[in-house]
Amino acid sequence: MSSRTSALFLTKRRTSDWVKDPVNFLLLILLFVLAYLILWPFLQLIIESLTWGEGDRRISREAIPGEFTWFHWLQATTGPISGKMLYGPLANTLKTGIIATTLALLVGGILAWCVVRSDMPGKSWLQPILTLPYIVPSFAVALSWEAVFRSPKVGGQPGLYEAVLGASPPEWISYGTFPISVTLAIHYFPFAYLLVAGALATIDSQMEEGALIAGAGRLMILRRITFPVVAPAFVAAFILTFGKTIGQFALPFLLGAPTQFHTVATMVYANLALGLESMAFVLAIILIAISLVSIWLSNRFVGKNSSRFETISGKGFRSRVIALGTWRWPIFLLVATFGFITGILPLILLGYQSIMLIDGFYDLSNMTSHFWLGKSNPEIAFGTPGVLHNNIILGATWNTLKLAFISAIIASIVGLIIAYIVVRRGDNPLAKILDQVAFIPFLFPTIAFGAMYLTLFAEPVGPIPALYGTFSLLVLISVVSRLPYSVKTGVMAVTQIGKELEEAAELTGASWGKRFRRIIIPLASPGVISGMMVSFVGVMRELSLIILLITPSTRVLMTVGFSYVEEGLTQLSNALVLIVAVLTIIGELVLLWFGKGKITRLREKHS
Amino acid sequence: MAKIIVRNLTKRYGDAVALDNISLEIGSGEFLVLLGPSGCGKTTLLRCLAGLETPDTGQIFLGEKKVFDGESKINIAPGKREVGMVFQSYALWPHLTVRDNLKFGLDVLNIPIKKANARLDKVLSDVGLSKFADRYPSELSGGQQQRVALARLLATEPNIFLMDEPLSNLDARLRMDMRVELKRFQAETNATTVYVTHDQTEAMTMSTQVVVMNNGKIEQVSAPQDLYRYPETTFVADFVGMPRINLIKLKEDSSNGTRYGNGEVSIDLGWSPGIREIVIGARPEDLILSQGDEAMGEEYEITAVMPNGPETFVQLARGNTAVLARADNDTKFKTSDIVHVGYNPKSINIYDTQTNSLVPYRGPK
Repeated sequence: MSSRTSALFLTKRRTSDWVKDPVNFLLLILLFVLAYLILWPFLQLIIESLTWGEGDRRISREAIPGEFTWFHWLQATTGPISGKMLYGPLANTLKTGIIATTLALLVGGILAWCVVRSDMPGKSWLQPILTLPYIVPSFAVALSWEAVFRSPKVGGQPGLYEAVLGASPPEWISYGTFPISVTLAIHYFPFAYLLVAGALATIDSQMEEGALIAGAGRLMILRRITFPVVAPAFVAAFILTFGKTIGQFALPFLLGAPTQFHTVATMVYANLALGLESMAFVLAIILIAISLVSIWLSNRFVGKNSSRFETISGKGFRSRVIALGTWRWPIFLLVATFGFITGILPLILLGYQSIMLIDGFYDLSNMTSHFWLGKSNPEIAFGTPGVLHNNIILGATWNTLKLAFISAIIASIVGLIIAYIVVRRGDNPLAKILDQVAFIPFLFPTIAFGAMYLTLFAEPVGPIPALYGTFSLLVLISVVSRLPYSVKTGVMAVTQIGKELEEAAELTGASWGKRFRRIIIPLASPGVISGMMVSFVGVMRELSLIILLITPSTRVLMTVGFSYVEEGLTQLSNALVLIVAVLTIIGELVLLWFGKGKITRLREKHS
Repeated sequence: MAKIIVRNLTKRYGDAVALDNISLEIGSGEFLVLLGPSGCGKTTLLRCLAGLETPDTGQIFLGEKKVFDGESKINIAPGKREVGMVFQSYALWPHLTVRDNLKFGLDVLNIPIKKANARLDKVLSDVGLSKFADRYPSELSGGQQQRVALARLLATEPNIFLMDEPLSNLDARLRMDMRVELKRFQAETNATTVYVTHDQTEAMTMSTQVVVMNNGKIEQVSAPQDLYRYPETTFVADFVGMPRINLIKLKEDSSNGTRYGNGEVSIDLGWSPGIREIVIGARPEDLILSQGDEAMGEEYEITAVMPNGPETFVQLARGNTAVLARADNDTKFKTSDIVHVGYNPKSINIYDTQTNSLVPYRGPK
């Protein structure tokens, strides 16, 4: 019997050892809990999409709530409204997703090359600015786009464009495919930039020098050597970015819904708003399917080619920067301007918008601090008080910080424990399964994941009370959605801790709990804490994930901002999103500071 | 203080056998070295003693205590075996100071603070690290880290020391110094010590007993002097000794049973092992070279002369048979010279090709 099977089907003697190991209990418990929180909701989503719901009585006389039916799937795929319900939004999703991803990759790739491989000046401070659009909520980019290109034809006040030029912008610039693709690209190009920069940094310039000696020109080297080597990273970046764009809800909603331009994600929301839950679930499943197919494609391509492109070699590794010559400063100016327009200008616009008494009227006399400092005034914004006196906003701020803090901590600790099991008990097939289950949330577009949790815990299950509308549910989904990342951080951290460090403690008689607390946690902490900060920022700016699960008592800043947009309270929504943006930037700064911090001692030598 | 008994220990990883029915007895206070090439099972055996690996079958006794029994499913946890271990990587906890590294084990044992502190001070001064008590491991040199690892083992006062290639990360000079020091601590504490290494010089100089392992089996157990002089198998003969021993396969040549040859070389052993095929093992220093004295033995051509400080090694060939001999360093031999090679029949070993094991000398005294 091979060791693989014997680990699962334990021999008699091993049984007693297996039971004595507390890690195995943790493994079983985690496996059960994650299956319940990840696999079961997905299954339920499918079941619900095949069941008549309460709201269905309005659209079909045959509806018997609780009974099995193909109705929703047929309606979505072949029914008279299928074009409007599925095919139109699906085309829009793919269209905006592909355009946005292509743009993001193009821009991100060029920037990555400039920063990693050229001698462009000012890299050290350009780099953080270039990542700003990704750090702030995607919503912020969309809001500032709207601030500029809003058109009174659709409703509301004119934007900056019309105020300056006197004519309203063409509608295709204001709403629909173009603005959605561009703003998505602005939000995601830093993501592509980071992925490509990482790949570029691994190229040994000796490869390029080899080509240079062979007499190849600079462009030829780029085309024949550099690009093919980073190609797998490009494909991976494309798929990952695309996967993220299709789950985006707030951004396409803001720049599409006013002209009835829908993506699958906004359609999920629209159907839920109409009480057509099963229909929404059908669309959510289709969204998940797109995501799964794209990830599968990426694995097929990258998996096949990755070993062929293995470039990391131990010795003689050098990365040479390429001299730009006279282009040095023009390119710098171009990059800096781009960084300003995409990273800083939107925040300035949001700030400016939030101090305008009458929306869209650009004049000094129109400036007010009311939306920040003012008390309730029935003549302004339906009497909604300014940010600092607004109990809803203060409550939401508290909720936001609480949610981000608690979720980040739980996700990191659970992630570390899972990572420990995956690394140290890798020969146990159950550990491999645990690893895979924890990764699954990564495959779910966020709004679809939110839809799954609508039905989960709607009613009490055993000892667990009904959680719908509670803060706990938000924590739960935030933690689970962060798990793929926190497990990954944890695996990196635990892998770096030599097994012997733990064995040395085991020999003194320290129990597993003690070893985990006193050896593993302190040694993993640098990596885990930075992972915690990433989760903190990630949860704070999240909207698509939780928009479906929010109730008045559990509001967070992003959802309040979103509801103000829906109510047309532009200044307040701008102020709120600005607050979130500033909070996330502070979080990133802490992270940056922490990364350079003192704990380097722990990383030395002990790999 | 504590005897170690290992009985019929077997450990498999899938289809690979790491330990193949190992039995071994280690006397109290002994310094036993497990020697062998990488992958021979020596580290696995050590880790089984520590309890860090679980064998499949067999028994292990440490002192009076039965710590493992495959039959009755006894498997005492590593922490309850009262052993201390020095790891190859030292395994010092990088987030703890030297002092806290030592203190960890005492905390687990619940030793009162006063007593613990006194003991730590003593151990730290014994290994010469008192000044470095508040430093972190990464702030110490390799040799100092090694001492911390040793001090951590001494602090818990175990009955048995287990050491897994503890000196392999040190440079040659430091390694020599630490050998002396390790030996001193072992002698002072009189703890039974099991020491794993692939370095035969280390094995020879430090041990009271050497166990040579190969392919999960024990090849030979003996005192270090005997190991060099009387290797019991061709594997041990080949593994021990630097430069390597000359092993030549020969067939019985004539009817009286004392002459063996391979068509190029012909040797009269002076006694009859009574086997058709043998391997003779002759260390370079057992061969006597002479220019001109035909009575010494057969003619060989010198193919290389390699001076090496106090001695000079001479590579010889007769047809396709190559042998290495040792000469004094004032030798005048040159490449292409012809020499006559002799030997003392008592000093060379004869092995049976069937069993690869030593045929005891039965010739004239």
